[in-house]
Amino acid sequence: MSTAALDYTRELPVVEGSPTAAEVDATIAAPLDQFPSRMWWIIFSIALSFFSIGVFCIGMTLYKGLGLWGVNQPVSWGFDIVNFVFWVGIGHAGTLISAILFLLRQRWRTGIARFAEAMTIFAVMCAGLFPLLHTGREWLPMYLSPYPNQHGLWVNFTSPLLWDVFAVSTYFTVSLVFWYVGLIPDLATLRDRTTNKIKKVIYSLFSLGWRHSNRHWQHYERAYLILAGFATPLVLSVHTIVSFDFAVSVIPGWHTTIFPPYFVAGAVFSGFAMVQNVLIFVRQAFNLKHIITLDHLEKMNKVMILTGSMVGYAYAMEMFIAWYGGNQFERFVFLNRALGPYAWAYWTMVSCNVIFPQLFWFKKIRRSIPAMFIIGITVNIGMWFERFVIIVTSLSRDFLPSSWGHYTPTFYDVGILLGSFGLFFTLILIFVRVLPVVSISELKAVIEGGQPSKH
Amino acid sequence: MSTPVSLEGLKKELPAKLRQVGWGLLVVGIAAIALGYVIDPRRMAFDNAIGYLFFTSVAVGSVFLIALEYIAGAVWSTPMRRVNEFLGSLVLLLPLIALPLFFHLHDLFHWTHEEALAADKVLVAKSPYLNVSFFLIRFAVMYLLWSLFYVLFTRNSTKQDTTKDPRLTTINVRLAAFFLPVFAISLTLTAVDWAMSLEPHWASTIFGVYYFAGTVLASISAATVVIIYFHENGYLPKLQRDSFYSLGALLFAFINFWAYIAFSQFLLIWYANLPDETIWFITRWKNGWEVVSILLIIVHFVVPYVALLTQDSKMDLKRLKLVAIWILIAHLLDLYWLVMPSYSEKVSLSWTDLAFPVFIVGLAIVVMAYKMKRNNVIAIGDPKLERGLSFRL
Repeated sequence: MSTAALDYTRELPVVEGSPTAAEVDATIAAPLDQFPSRMWWIIFSIALSFFSIGVFCIGMTLYKGLGLWGVNQPVSWGFDIVNFVFWVGIGHAGTLISAILFLLRQRWRTGIARFAEAMTIFAVMCAGLFPLLHTGREWLPMYLSPYPNQHGLWVNFTSPLLWDVFAVSTYFTVSLVFWYVGLIPDLATLRDRTTNKIKKVIYSLFSLGWRHSNRHWQHYERAYLILAGFATPLVLSVHTIVSFDFAVSVIPGWHTTIFPPYFVAGAVFSGFAMVQNVLIFVRQAFNLKHIITLDHLEKMNKVMILTGSMVGYAYAMEMFIAWYGGNQFERFVFLNRALGPYAWAYWTMVSCNVIFPQLFWFKKIRRSIPAMFIIGITVNIGMWFERFVIIVTSLSRDFLPSSWGHYTPTFYDVGILLGSFGLFFTLILIFVRVLPVVSISELKAVIEGGQPSKH
Repeated sequence: MSTPVSLEGLKKELPAKLRQVGWGLLVVGIAAIALGYVIDPRRMAFDNAIGYLFFTSVAVGSVFLIALEYIAGAVWSTPMRRVNEFLGSLVLLLPLIALPLFFHLHDLFHWTHEEALAADKVLVAKSPYLNVSFFLIRFAVMYLLWSLFYVLFTRNSTKQDTTKDPRLTTINVRLAAFFLPVFAISLTLTAVDWAMSLEPHWASTIFGVYYFAGTVLASISAATVVIIYFHENGYLPKLQRDSFYSLGALLFAFINFWAYIAFSQFLLIWYANLPDETIWFITRWKNGWEVVSILLIIVHFVVPYVALLTQDSKMDLKRLKLVAIWILIAHLLDLYWLVMPSYSEKVSLSWTDLAFPVFIVGLAIVVMAYKMKRNNVIAIGDPKLERGLSFRL
């Protein structure tokens, strides 16, 4: 490879070209002002069809019961929990980008933050569906919250499953507030430029009387910083607690101390893959290539190689300590994962999560749209299989060979998974039509001339 | 844009007095180590292991920070990178501190005892990894790799002072990409070899990450102390408060990271309550060790957390310097808490515990003085330097 000199003396521009503030408004608000294109309707109907498959399968589950699923003894956690952990993981990129990259003062987050935050909210909504269905008594969700009652029944405060309820609902709330606070100045901009009377009323209501005054901005900046400070530990805590669901138990393959950071890294990994995948289409469809630039996608790919390698480190460490620790059950579980009946799932996971992303070491691949798209998809396949491997292999063969079993998903399991993808993309497609996918106000701060030149 | 950075008016050599102090500490340290090995070789071996881990944290951690700047494309740290390079040169001296231990492996490691092996099936099962010759091979390989990367990074960086060739930066970025996996694996194995295997029946998958958190804290703290000393005494050009913010923020982030990792390890082991695993925490929760455990939480987390919480405190040089020294001591306490319970079930302090810290501080000052004589304190040829000097948040 050549070592052609890169220019290290200049910072890469966050926005390519030099659009004016008015052009920024026009570009980002354009999709909201037009009737959706034929392409949008096609994709929307596909997403909606998948969603209806999910609705049908959920309806059947509610009507007939969990017997329709593939879960059994000993594999009592199946697709439902796999999907839950998968979707919560997807939800991690948004707040990471919007809060942590904000605290780290990474200005390239501007183009992608809003979209990633929206994705977080939708992904957590998909995730929330599964534990609820998993309980099998969807009409009794109040028992998940600790409240004084005549029966003297209390939730089990020492169970990480309950911590999950708190963590995920707190995460959802804070993400939603964070997202909405960021939207307020933009909604005011939309209010000011719309000519449609109905839209005017809606935007006026939701922009909460924002007038772009200096005082508003000061409060806004302060609130945003504090929310970012709150959201940061929250992002890390959510998948940490999800990992506790497994790691506090004594099941071989689940009980291992590296789980918390390993789950967080994996979540960020899959979340970035999903954001990257969807943004590739968004920037194409809405002419945002100069705002969501190739440099931004490349940076996301760099985050993926980092987090993917962390996940690889955790796989290696689990293997090594399973051997080093000398516990025969642990040793068996890891041999069983690599060579047992689910070996195909294990090797899918390893190759998708650890091997393929290594291609991102090459700049050409990092900057090639088709290549990064394919690798992004394999990452999400790999991360889904990671949860499958963890849950199913450990449960299907634990301590006593006499109680071993096997897990095969049914039509309804697959249907609900497809349905969750349908729900996710339906929500995303609605989002891109009704709200600005890039933060207008933040973008104006990073265009040329947006910053003070001397201070 | 391109006014050449001038080194005029900047000091270059450490004051004679400080160099004398360095030599003094070095000599006292060596004498104390020698004396300690005569009086109580077993205790000294454990002190030596703590010393080795501490030294590795600062030295290898500094090489990691060099690599991190290159691969992340950071500019705020470029004016300060030479400090990491100087501290990184300690890597070359690692065998110096490991050498006495090689004669005392028997005192340190239960798994080297033939009679223990004969009575213990678990140890036999681990013996393909835990045996003296493989242990020494691992040390040699890791030492060579660390030194190799250190030499390559700094050779390119020094060459750039005269050639100003930006391609050298590109080369170092690529080197950094190769260094990171090497660093991750070698640092984990160091933690397993020198700390975890002291109790050979116990294992924890997060252990390498735990030591990594301490390593990053120790190396950033060491660099922070030196950078602020340089800045206050005219070795570096005038930097804005903004440049120091990142040092404070990194320390704050890794204080939290350390606590997160430590808590995860504790909670998961406590909750599952398996006797094989809890034994490790139980030995640290009786016979006086519980005091050290609680002290560790306060010293290593609570105090620096509060001290660095606000935005202003991360840019307050006086406070930053104090916190950095504090964290270095906290890391030492952390290593003491990891290693010493294997030496004695009762908590015990001895004057010999200070021998290695004194020696290491002395050595670091002497090495700094030596490197500063031969190198520029600022990487004047680095293409990112100007951006670093005018860095704003």
